Amino acid sequence: MSEEKTVAAPFPGVFYRRPDPESPPFVNVGDVVEAGTVVGLIEVMKMFQEIQAGASGHVTAVLVENEQAVDAGQTLLTVE
Amino acid sequence: MTARLGVLTEPPRGTHYTFGGDEWIVVQLSEAMSLDVNLKAQVLTRALAEKALPGIVEICLSNASYMVRIDPDVVRPTVLVEQLRELEAAHSDFRSITLRTRIVDVPVLFEDEWTAATVQRFRDRHQRPDLTDLEFAAELNGYGSTDEFIDAMVSAPALVSMIGFVPTVPWGYQLVPEERQIEVPKYVRPRTFTPERAFAWGGAFSAIYPVDGAGGYQLFGMCPAPIVQPEQSLHDFRESFSFPRPGDLFNYRRIEREEFDEIRARVTEGSFRYRLAELDFTPAEWFARPDETVAAMQELLYGA
Amino acid sequence: MALEILRPGLMTTVQDEGRTQGYALGMPPSGAMDRFSYHVANALVGNPSGAAVLECTYLGPEIGFSQATTFAVTGADLPVHLNGKEIQPWASHRAEAGDVLGFGFLRSGARAYIAVAGGIDVEPVMGSRSTYTLCGMGGFQGRALRAGDLLPVGADATGTPGRSLPAALVPDFAGPAELRVVVGLASYRVTPDSLAAFFETEWQVTPDANRVGYRYRGGLVEWVPRTQPRGAGSDPANVVDIGYPIGSIQIPGGTEPIALLNDAVTGGGYATIGTIISSDIQVAGQTKTGDVTRFCPVSIDAALGARQEARARLAKAREAIEARS
Repeated sequence: MSEEKTVAAPFPGVFYRRPDPESPPFVNVGDVVEAGTVVGLIEVMKMFQEIQAGASGHVTAVLVENEQAVDAGQTLLTVE
Repeated sequence: MTARLGVLTEPPRGTHYTFGGDEWIVVQLSEAMSLDVNLKAQVLTRALAEKALPGIVEICLSNASYMVRIDPDVVRPTVLVEQLRELEAAHSDFRSITLRTRIVDVPVLFEDEWTAATVQRFRDRHQRPDLTDLEFAAELNGYGSTDEFIDAMVSAPALVSMIGFVPTVPWGYQLVPEERQIEVPKYVRPRTFTPERAFAWGGAFSAIYPVDGAGGYQLFGMCPAPIVQPEQSLHDFRESFSFPRPGDLFNYRRIEREEFDEIRARVTEGSFRYRLAELDFTPAEWFARPDETVAAMQELLYGA
Repeated sequence: MALEILRPGLMTTVQDEGRTQGYALGMPPSGAMDRFSYHVANALVGNPSGAAVLECTYLGPEIGFSQATTFAVTGADLPVHLNGKEIQPWASHRAEAGDVLGFGFLRSGARAYIAVAGGIDVEPVMGSRSTYTLCGMGGFQGRALRAGDLLPVGADATGTPGRSLPAALVPDFAGPAELRVVVGLASYRVTPDSLAAFFETEWQVTPDANRVGYRYRGGLVEWVPRTQPRGAGSDPANVVDIGYPIGSIQIPGGTEPIALLNDAVTGGGYATIGTIISSDIQVAGQTKTGDVTRFCPVSIDAALGARQEARARLAKAREAIEARS
């Protein structure tokens, strides 16, 4: 099975790949994720919301930079 | 563009009547703060409330201005502005009008442990990280010691010149002549935390933070008594969740830790009441004899 | 009857028409940011005007119904699901006990409204059920909803399923927003060229945009040099602290304008240059982070005209809903 799945931003804001500046990214290309694995944070309205993968697989691409502004529905990463 | 919309292009000379969209009228009496201009705003807002003009939803006092929230379906904003101009013209002798108000004993524990910890935590956001807020403000205002500076802050009551920013914050402008007004800058960058009931000063105004929150005023002490109580169980809050009222005279009083703890206990058990006295305040009397007028007010509050 | 919050969404609060008193004590009105969508949601389920609804910002909640009832979703454009099956927004539907209401991702707009027959029945505070989260007052425990909350709904109201708003009357939230502004307040503090440029700039909504206010990015404002008046502070963006009307636009530092909205701070020391007209507050409230906003100067008479138009549009929507039920 090599069906490609995407994780999209549920709402607009600023995407964070790390829980804090000193920590490693939540996920890197090649990492295995499961449904519910936290892959990043989006900050909006001074609130941070965890973004979770919707299905299991390994990460094939991370499409947005740390602290990049994202729009609702924008693809953040792909999972295969 | 501005000419077409009838908007000022020069600073206003005198009172500036201006629309805040279709639901607000802002009346800026002066660009500069003074006791005189706030007392004028106090007199005008009270007179306006008494007139109960149709279409006025709420009247909001500010320091050197006031604001009216209106229902433009009941009164045209342009018509109401004319009525407000007439009101101002009819009260040119506002200094001789007596304001019924109250003088309140507001205990303050200066240099308390809670604001001291906050002051230290946000030192990197302050203009003088090497001093405490109190030391900085005392030095800036030319006082030889923090004790002398505290004495000045508690020497005369503060007129509640505006309430707001967030609910119930009382802004106090001290009843002292201009040359004795204390003035301090705000923090260079605002703090992300201020403890509930902190006593503070920013610009020419004293203030009390009703609840925990961000803030930029210089922190000097802590009040034991609340100024907001949403559950309204304490005696002083039965009519409103807000203790401060526009025009109140807050007489700050320096207390020690023992009295602070005792007041806290009374607040907790629900028996606390502010010590206060109702009085008639005529601005003209204060302008003629400021220190004597203040002494008489304080005598009324504390007894001979 | 109760609603069980299974997932809260990002920021879901109880809102109604808001308070009319309290500003003089620093209490903002709160209330639904998008009045049109709010009123239509109540009209669809057959609630009286003024009933409390849920306002959901950016991310929809997941809600379980404890009993059969009627509900409607209006406002922001996002897929609405009942038990996982997509249903029509801007229409009233019947939910059975145990049914689950859910949402897909936001397409346009910022705030969706969920009305339930009988209204959200929290205790009114100062005459309103609206939540003011900044001070934890009103609404459901003064806060945004959390998973596990059980929201009381007004009793003995069955509502009217099967009503809908004609598509032609559904607002379109996509594309740049235009907010009409009555110029004034301390606009004389800004140079005429800079004031003109302000109204030609395409401003972008920053992530710092919530019910208190929206911060925008995209231009600069130049202040008229002056000796600061007594008590105003040293920064040219500062004035002697003054009351802020709802909708007023201030420009701290001259770089990022802030428009104050329903949960506004009621006053402060920044120069304000104008006020968004009351009928366009709801337009601002349906813009989201990253959206383009333009401000358009209008006269007070035009503002009053727009107010009448907004009222006529709502009346037309109500009539159309009644006619189709």
